[in-house]
Amino acid sequence: MDLIIKTVSRILFPFILLLGTYMAFHGHLSPGGAFPAGVIIATGFALLIISYREGDVEHRLTKDELIDLKSVSGIILIILILSLGHHIRDEVLATQNIFSLWSGGLTPVFNIAGMFMVVTAIVVILYTIVRE
Amino acid sequence: MNWFRAYVIGVLGILLFVSVLYLPGFGSFQNKDVANYYLQNAWKETGSANIINSIVWDYRGYDTLGEETVLFAAAMGVFLIIRKKEYHKYGLNNKNRK
Repeated sequence: MDLIIKTVSRILFPFILLLGTYMAFHGHLSPGGAFPAGVIIATGFALLIISYREGDVEHRLTKDELIDLKSVSGIILIILILSLGHHIRDEVLATQNIFSLWSGGLTPVFNIAGMFMVVTAIVVILYTIVRE
Repeated sequence: MNWFRAYVIGVLGILLFVSVLYLPGFGSFQNKDVANYYLQNAWKETGSANIINSIVWDYRGYDTLGEETVLFAAAMGVFLIIRKKEYHKYGLNNKNRK
């Protein structure tokens, strides 16, 4: 693509990552959450994939790494929601204050793991579609 | 058989129409116990300032886990259907496939 598009997307990409990460980490205090945060980060990767070649992006973050990340975050979600979350929720809540960053029971952990699930899903779909 | 189908469809349509007539009106304040309960008790039960996030991840955690499962299935489906060049990597036979 053009030099201008390459430069602008290269400069803009860390800020998109920062916005998405802020949304995931702050989702239990302000509007946002796991799904919009993941979609924002995935749009950053889409910008890189469109402006650069797809191989250059996949050289840095391969599809196997994405699937590993997705599996790990999915296992964390399954363990916390299905079995462990009900038992440790009250103990976690007792150590927290509302309106602080570490509040809301286990919802910050859920937000971050859900963000990784959404990011990896959309980036795997983008890689696969762009390659073919 | 066609008369039987027409009879079933007609009865179901009449039941749906009657049930729509008994719905609460738009914007009425009936049957809002769950919403009021969330608004008044969610902050002290979950400790989260964002009530929407506490509903999504705490009250309805199983539902959101199902959503993530659907997302996982969608990504894996696209990845397994569209790829072509990587059959030999996983030990599948590439010659019999298009």
